[in-house]
Amino acid sequence: MQTSVTQARPPGPDTTPEAPPNATVVVRNLSKWYGDVVAVSDISFHVEPGVTALLGPNGAGKSTTLEMLSGLLAPSQGEIRILGRPARGDVELYRHVGMAPEQEALYPFLTGREFVELNAVLQKMDDPSGAAHQALATVELLDDADRPLRGYSKGMRQRTKIAAALVHDPDVLLMDEPLNGTDPLQRARLIELIQALGRQGKTVIVSSHILYEVERFADRILVINRGKLAAAGNFHAIRDRMDEHARAVRLRASDPRKLAAALVQTPVVLSVRFEPVAGDLPPALVVETADVRAFYRLAPAIAKRQDVHLYEVAALDESLASVFAYVVERG
Amino acid sequence: MAGTTHGARSTVPIATLTLRQLAHGNAVRVVALFAAVPVAFALIYLIGQPTIDRVTFANNLFTHGVAPTVLPLAILILATSALGNEVEDRTMVYLVLKPQTRMRIVLEKLLAVAVVATLLLWAGTTIGFVIVMRGEAGGELGMLIAMLVAEVFAVLAYGALFLLLSLLISRALLAGIIYTLLWETTFSRFIPGVRLLSVRHFVESIYVRLANDPAATMDHPNRLISAIVTLLVLTALAIVATSWRLRTMNLE
Repeated sequence: MQTSVTQARPPGPDTTPEAPPNATVVVRNLSKWYGDVVAVSDISFHVEPGVTALLGPNGAGKSTTLEMLSGLLAPSQGEIRILGRPARGDVELYRHVGMAPEQEALYPFLTGREFVELNAVLQKMDDPSGAAHQALATVELLDDADRPLRGYSKGMRQRTKIAAALVHDPDVLLMDEPLNGTDPLQRARLIELIQALGRQGKTVIVSSHILYEVERFADRILVINRGKLAAAGNFHAIRDRMDEHARAVRLRASDPRKLAAALVQTPVVLSVRFEPVAGDLPPALVVETADVRAFYRLAPAIAKRQDVHLYEVAALDESLASVFAYVVERG
Repeated sequence: MAGTTHGARSTVPIATLTLRQLAHGNAVRVVALFAAVPVAFALIYLIGQPTIDRVTFANNLFTHGVAPTVLPLAILILATSALGNEVEDRTMVYLVLKPQTRMRIVLEKLLAVAVVATLLLWAGTTIGFVIVMRGEAGGELGMLIAMLVAEVFAVLAYGALFLLLSLLISRALLAGIIYTLLWETTFSRFIPGVRLLSVRHFVESIYVRLANDPAATMDHPNRLISAIVTLLVLTALAIVATSWRLRTMNLE
């Protein structure tokens, strides 16, 4: 996995650094546009075995990138090679690639087992029933495997799609927002599964727009924002850079003035201002902090010491869009 | 039985899936209604006071009703359900992201459409024919067989063409209805030069040549072999074009 930050640049000759020999996915100068709308703009990266997250806000171009990686979508420009072969037009490549798309549509009249078994048959597996059983066991769906898909919850559908993508034991696995719609327990188990697949030496590329989720399963990320590759590399290094960015946090408390006086005494707080709230409620506090994690730890303790009740603590600028904008600026 | 079903799933999994898809949708019910049109007309003939003889009525029912309208519309509904709808609802993703050639996907889709269409149309045609002919159906068995054989070639040609149409445009059903009613039903009947550009002309040619009955007539029928070859070539070209389209289109 490359660790350098890759900035958007005008289309031109391929200047991407040579991918290392163990790179399983190599993307060079990839763009996709629809008329005047640019969905993905001249991105280059390579991915090695392990878990890599494709991180970005909704509409950033993650799904478009994954669809091009899977061969569903033809790039307007650029090249994608998976395991040394072109991503589009070589159907035999799908013996080694699995894809769990974001869409919810499945065949409602099939049971979960029939759907996964169909995928195994289409993968030309010797024992489709056995492979389907194994894949369903992996996503813990055996108990519901013989129910029609039309009755599945969103989380169960997600796990069914993952089982179908895993059924042929692919070397490269593409997952588009696989944790959407899952409950906390399912999410934790899917994260464990994604981590285990990475440890097995598979190349797992997972898209997500939720920063804290990505932190749990991927130590390498590709940050995409507005169709451009904003950053690529080690998750923690990028996260640390994000944390250097001063953040605004909004608090509502029973006695905001008393709390503000205490907060400004702490070194992590850079400034405090009051913000009017509708009705007769006391004003909210808007705190600018240099270390948001430390602030989240300190604020409740300070409030308790001052005997002030905290009603609300909300980050004002922690949306991915703003964080990514920051990464792009600093990149 | 279970073994046979499982065998079919493994041998032609996409066709088996498509058959189940069609069985769970409304398409089959609508097509069954279309296929029942000859039966309805036969019953009207039976209870009315007919002015033409049975053989002529059976022939007219096929050449004026079934071949130009019922056949293409029934196959259109099945073909667009089998392929176009799957692209639209994005379940096609689960078929194309597999080590299966696009040609195989198209062939299996066509197989499923052909099986359903042939069974329903044969049933409607046979029942309608038996009602019209009553006790004399056995004597005109050649005419019935000619109709059934012609329908098989119609199913293949229209099926392949409408599968292609369903990948080319998003409103394939509407476009197919307009094509059927304007081209196959109207223009190709009344404009001599257009006749050779309609599927219906070759389907009717096969019927007329196979029936070899004085009642089974049409203007300028093709020779049997040329009509069959023309429809098979058309079917093959449409399959190749549909496979190419499926290979090159973006499935977002």
